[in-house]
Amino acid sequence: MTQTAPPPNTPGSLDSVPNAAKKHWVGPWALLGPPGLWLVLLLVLPTLVIFELSLVPGIRPGDLVNPSGLDNYTQIFESVYLRVMLRSLLFAIGTTVVSLVLGFPVAYWIALMSPKRWRNLLLVAFILPLWTSSLLRSYAWISILRPTGVLNSFLGIFNLPALDILNQSPAVLVGMSYSFLPYMVLILYSSLEKLDLKLLEAAADLGATPIQSFWKITVPQSFQGIAAGSLLVFIISLGDFINPELLGGASSMTVSRLIYNQFLGPTQNWGFGSSLSMIMIFAVSAAVALLIRYGNTSSGKV
Amino acid sequence: MAGGSYSRRAFLQQTAAAAMGLSLSSCGWRLANVRPTNTASADTSKLYIFTWAGYTDKALLEQFTAETGVSVVVDIYDSNEAMLAKLQSGGGGAYSIVYPSDYMVRRMRDLDLLQELDRDRISGLDSLFEPYQDPSYDPNNRHSVPVSWGTTGLVYNRKSLGTEPQDWDFLWDQREKLTRRMTLMNDTRETMGASLRRLGFSYNAEDPEAIRKAFEALQELKPFLANFTTDAWRDRIVAGDLSVAMGYSVDAVGVESENPDLGYVIPASGASLWTDTMAIPVTAPNPDAAHAWIDFMLRPDVAASVTKSLSFATPSRDAFELLPPDISENPSLFPPDDVLAKCEGLAPVGASTALYERYWNQLTSG
Amino acid sequence: MSQTTLQSQTVALTETGSDVELRKVFKVFNGETAVRGVDLTIGQGEFFSILGPSGCGKTTTLRLIAGFETPSAGEVLVRGQSMLNVPPNQRPVNTVFQSYALFGHMTIWDNVAFGLKIKGLTKAELEGQVREALVLVKMESFARRYPAQLSGGQRQRVALARALVNRPAVLLLDEPLGALDLKLRKEMQMELSSLHRELGMTFVMVTHDQEEALSLSDRIAVMNEGRVEQVGTPSEIYEAPRSPFIADFIGETNLLRGRLAQVDREGWQVETDHGSPIMVRPVADWQPGRGDAIAVSVRPEKVGLSLYPPEVKVNCFEGELQNIMYLGTHVHYAVELRSGEKITVMQVNTGGEMPTVSTQVYVHWSTQDGLAMPA
Repeated sequence: MTQTAPPPNTPGSLDSVPNAAKKHWVGPWALLGPPGLWLVLLLVLPTLVIFELSLVPGIRPGDLVNPSGLDNYTQIFESVYLRVMLRSLLFAIGTTVVSLVLGFPVAYWIALMSPKRWRNLLLVAFILPLWTSSLLRSYAWISILRPTGVLNSFLGIFNLPALDILNQSPAVLVGMSYSFLPYMVLILYSSLEKLDLKLLEAAADLGATPIQSFWKITVPQSFQGIAAGSLLVFIISLGDFINPELLGGASSMTVSRLIYNQFLGPTQNWGFGSSLSMIMIFAVSAAVALLIRYGNTSSGKV
Repeated sequence: MAGGSYSRRAFLQQTAAAAMGLSLSSCGWRLANVRPTNTASADTSKLYIFTWAGYTDKALLEQFTAETGVSVVVDIYDSNEAMLAKLQSGGGGAYSIVYPSDYMVRRMRDLDLLQELDRDRISGLDSLFEPYQDPSYDPNNRHSVPVSWGTTGLVYNRKSLGTEPQDWDFLWDQREKLTRRMTLMNDTRETMGASLRRLGFSYNAEDPEAIRKAFEALQELKPFLANFTTDAWRDRIVAGDLSVAMGYSVDAVGVESENPDLGYVIPASGASLWTDTMAIPVTAPNPDAAHAWIDFMLRPDVAASVTKSLSFATPSRDAFELLPPDISENPSLFPPDDVLAKCEGLAPVGASTALYERYWNQLTSG
Repeated sequence: MSQTTLQSQTVALTETGSDVELRKVFKVFNGETAVRGVDLTIGQGEFFSILGPSGCGKTTTLRLIAGFETPSAGEVLVRGQSMLNVPPNQRPVNTVFQSYALFGHMTIWDNVAFGLKIKGLTKAELEGQVREALVLVKMESFARRYPAQLSGGQRQRVALARALVNRPAVLLLDEPLGALDLKLRKEMQMELSSLHRELGMTFVMVTHDQEEALSLSDRIAVMNEGRVEQVGTPSEIYEAPRSPFIADFIGETNLLRGRLAQVDREGWQVETDHGSPIMVRPVADWQPGRGDAIAVSVRPEKVGLSLYPPEVKVNCFEGELQNIMYLGTHVHYAVELRSGEKITVMQVNTGGEMPTVSTQVYVHWSTQDGLAMPA
């Protein structure tokens, strides 16, 4: 049966070829268009505006925008503002370290040691604080940490000396660590959950004590999670405004508080605020770049 | 082609401006130049008020709604600058009433942010005390109507201090003992002004040397401060965590009633005298209700009852006369004339503003 | 040379007697008994396999030796010493895991050096031994790679080297070749066998692959439902299975169930459930009574097939050819007897013409090839 005419269903498929090509072309635009527009309108443009403002020395509301120099940036390099940046950095690093040290055992316990059917419940219980307003949580810490607060009443019962840390850096560190610990635990959990327990058995089999196995196997195997969790906590700590504002004192100015003050606070220097914002955006972008880089290399190895 | 590129550029600028609440002017663009918006679609059954914490209460709002049928929504701010920033960034378009302080009235008026009031629709302007008839910050009350006034001084706990401070010097003299048991306001002009006044200068000094000295004096004090805060000291001084706080007299009267150990003093070398006003932004969507609100608040019975319930000093003579003696003779609310004579109002400091703020950033950053 | 170092070390450590001993070991998980009273004695230098279907408790038994599980009852001894309360890291055994469990964040070199580093050897000290172990498994040129860059067979070798380098008294292998394809598996079987010969170390291997167990092991323990059913050399297990399960599990067999009908000089006469009378040789240490249930195993390759009635009358039955499977070296026939029983016959392919399906045929086997066992 040699037939030159195509079988009945071929005309349809002829039609569908350009259709498919069109879909192929339209698809990405339909998918990327709205978020792209969103990004351009609400992220790229405002950032460009902030950048332009940062080039106008000491611009205040009502002033003419006339970019004319880097004065706002040179102002940042006055020692007092460098100290603010250093302080922000130390708060962020401190928070990261505290969250990691406190979060790892918790994530480890939930992921590897707790009864399996309780795991999700435990995890939810641990991240439950995230469902309340961060403002409320900071206020709660005020009433705990203040001189006549819960902590000192408690210490008083055991005749321990009162702690006066509210309005000081330790209080900020406590508040930030508390706020961001759940993020750390979540990320570490998802990384530890994937840990192959056979590897720990293999290490024990080869003579490693549980502590040696932890440092030589568990930690390196979950390195990606540790890196991701640490960088995330670092980034959000760096940008945190609420905890330093509410729990900090006269001497715990951070970059985000300083930026707030330039726009909505007692000083109205949008130019200086913009240059500080640009530095912050740059710092956070660098941290994110690190995150992506580390995420890639370690996944290549494992 | 040139037209195309021009319009694209204009589009970009306008989009950027819209995103940031900015608008264009003939040469380049101007930061935060607010213009009236179309109010045709405004909902006249609602009045949005932007005011200080503690300036309204439920009973007051319900009374207004009962009388006019307009329901009121209240948002609060904690500094004039925050309020200004919100309006300038375009986020205040819903508000028909704002409560700027004296110097802020002048600044907002200069920025063309305030409507001229229709005096025919506001009764009771004549019954204001003499100084409020024609205030320097707003001659003839053309853009604002005073609603309360007061001073900025020191709230203290006489029990924990064992003494009663008399002047700003107390903070510097006793700073070791007061380590992290005192707060200053998170307000450039008030706090710098107090330091200026202590050194014998005006609250509105424009001499760079004087401002520098005031800044240096504050820097000396700073390591001993718990915090810079305008009102977060209230709970904490009531609880006993703080011994002295710099604050507004309205707030002082409030906490005095909660803890009998607390007192308020207007420092002997002088303090700032402030007036809070009601004003209508040019962008107000409901100016009719706004006028009704101002008229309502000026009524002697309303002003007197607000003075009683919210304890802020009314500038209305008719209302003052309705007050019971325990309030009208409260020196924290209505200080004697000789004390008032040493006080001064905050006035714009022109080009020195930048200097004040530069010092303030340095002070709070260190 | 290098191998001899490993070997001499192991031999020096070994004295006489058993390397591993399990005494009445039980293991219960959440009310499910995985191991029911296992008794095993594994001699030094032996290649010992634990064979059984999945879920029979063989892996649990291995894990009990390694120390990853603790017995619910009973005792595990290694080199005569009780392993009670001895954690895995202090036991003189090393394991090759089914999934290899190589450390993905370490190079091959570091994987193999892991155990020695833990022991506190310096870099210089361990270098020779690590290289030696890598040479032993022919992986010396991959030392700088990561496990993810290796094939399955290569990972298997690394896992072996990682365990061997520690010179354990006993090497435990948990389904070591299970993840490899057939050809690679054959290759690795040879290597495992020669490694065992070279090192003289005790190997305990768990497997479900009877062919692997038969070809590699000195002795085999067959496990079923948590119990050891039989321990013996591969030929004992194959030739003289002690239970229908083993007969069926090890190799292919025809199991005929019935009752003892009569005992006479030629052997035992069994009447199958289908009514066929068969003769089997007597079992030395077993005296069943008349009417006792008996299973008879006849290996397919022991069954003869002919188209005409053979001269023998014992164990000769008529049936119909139902299926023929051509396997190259062998031909596989399925025959249904008149009585209804099905018999599988395996014959060497001699190249002659094959009968066709539905042909009437005769199957027969000698009395010696019918193996009786308690049913």
